[in-house]
Amino acid sequence: MNPAVHPGEWTRAVHLLPYFLEVLWSGTIMTVIVTAGGFVASILLGVFVAALRTGSSRLLAGFAHAYVEVFRAVPVLTQLFIIYFGLAAIGIRLSPIPAAIVGFGLNGGAYLSEVFRGGIQAVHRGQTEAALAIGMTPRMAFRWIVLPQATRIVLPSIANFAIGLLKDTSLASAVAAPELSFRAHMLVDETYLSTQIYLLVAAFYMAMSLPLSLLVRWLERRGRPARAA
Amino acid sequence: MTAPSTLALAWGWMPELLVAAGQTLRMTFFAYLLGASAGLLIAFGEMSRRRALSVSCRVYIEFIRGTPTLTQLFLIYFGLASFGIIIPGFAAAVLALGLHYAAYMAETYRSGIASVDRGQREAAQSIGMTGAQTMRYVILPQALRVVIPPMTNSAISLLKDTSVASLIAAPELMLRANDVTSEFYMPMEVYLITGAMYFAMSYPLSIAVRRLERMTARGRRMVTDPA
Repeated sequence: MNPAVHPGEWTRAVHLLPYFLEVLWSGTIMTVIVTAGGFVASILLGVFVAALRTGSSRLLAGFAHAYVEVFRAVPVLTQLFIIYFGLAAIGIRLSPIPAAIVGFGLNGGAYLSEVFRGGIQAVHRGQTEAALAIGMTPRMAFRWIVLPQATRIVLPSIANFAIGLLKDTSLASAVAAPELSFRAHMLVDETYLSTQIYLLVAAFYMAMSLPLSLLVRWLERRGRPARAA
Repeated sequence: MTAPSTLALAWGWMPELLVAAGQTLRMTFFAYLLGASAGLLIAFGEMSRRRALSVSCRVYIEFIRGTPTLTQLFLIYFGLASFGIIIPGFAAAVLALGLHYAAYMAETYRSGIASVDRGQREAAQSIGMTGAQTMRYVILPQALRVVIPPMTNSAISLLKDTSVASLIAAPELMLRANDVTSEFYMPMEVYLITGAMYFAMSYPLSIAVRRLERMTARGRRMVTDPA
């Protein structure tokens, strides 16, 4: 008989709850590390690629464009497998956590570079013209006039990206990174309490993503009147 | 291993991957159909005046958007199995991805409907249309053109997300790639070609989105800028 349809499964889950929480908590820390690492890598790469794409070199802009198109059109899971299994086969062995951070960074960088580019383009041209007219160099105009306004515009998108990234890190379980989802699979293998454990895991992800989505809403509300003015 | 034998081996597994890419398209199609129709129902539910209905739709959307697709997939596949309901991997993936995208698409529909000017509804009602008629003949046709680009974007994301179904062993491209990798041990070649196949399927869609966005942006400017 299937042990899990036994009415005692919820009771068993309650008894095992302290153990589940302990294991899932250690996974949560890893999830936060992968998310934070992937986030920082995405921001840095995104800024760099956006700079290349808006820069004066046609060749570099072309490469940057190709990178963005390719990495946005292929599933993150495939990219993770190329980085983890593919690179290992040609002698570059990465541990699961660094591989995940590199994978999410490369994927996120492509996505965020578009967000940054859009943000910079959304600042009215007149702003740059006015800055140049009062004698600022193009670099100063970008740094002091365009960038602060662009940052404000892209903040909600960046926070939204962070939510997506947090949830996507669950895919790192497929390359055996010991994060929340991976720990959950181990617990399920051990106890067969799949419904209870995955519901608990869902609650863990919710607890992390809900504050972020409240932040997005707040940023969007704050951003709106400023743009209308 | 020499280069020619690598190539010869690649010819061995390439047709398998192409067949699997077809399965990915099939999974995308069915999940999209489910998502697009369930999403419309959820959008109407959310806008309903009955509080219990609108609140439960809201809760559903928040739950889906707050948790990973993977967790939802496992809840449906392994969770249902623990209640004695065994469904095949493909059906579980279509169900999980469809229900996942329904939440996102509901938000798309809602913002599309909200984007139609209030005056349209007032005008329709003042010439004697009922609420349902107004929705069907006045609001929805106009909301549709706003909604088409984001709905196509959802199709692209969905196509890529079907790769997650490999983790419950549902037959699609990524699963076949894993099988081929363990059989021939050429992970780099296999996953790069798999990536290229996903690219070949999703890139035409993203070009279509850009076209559509330009078209609808032009249309909207003509409609809303009388000056």
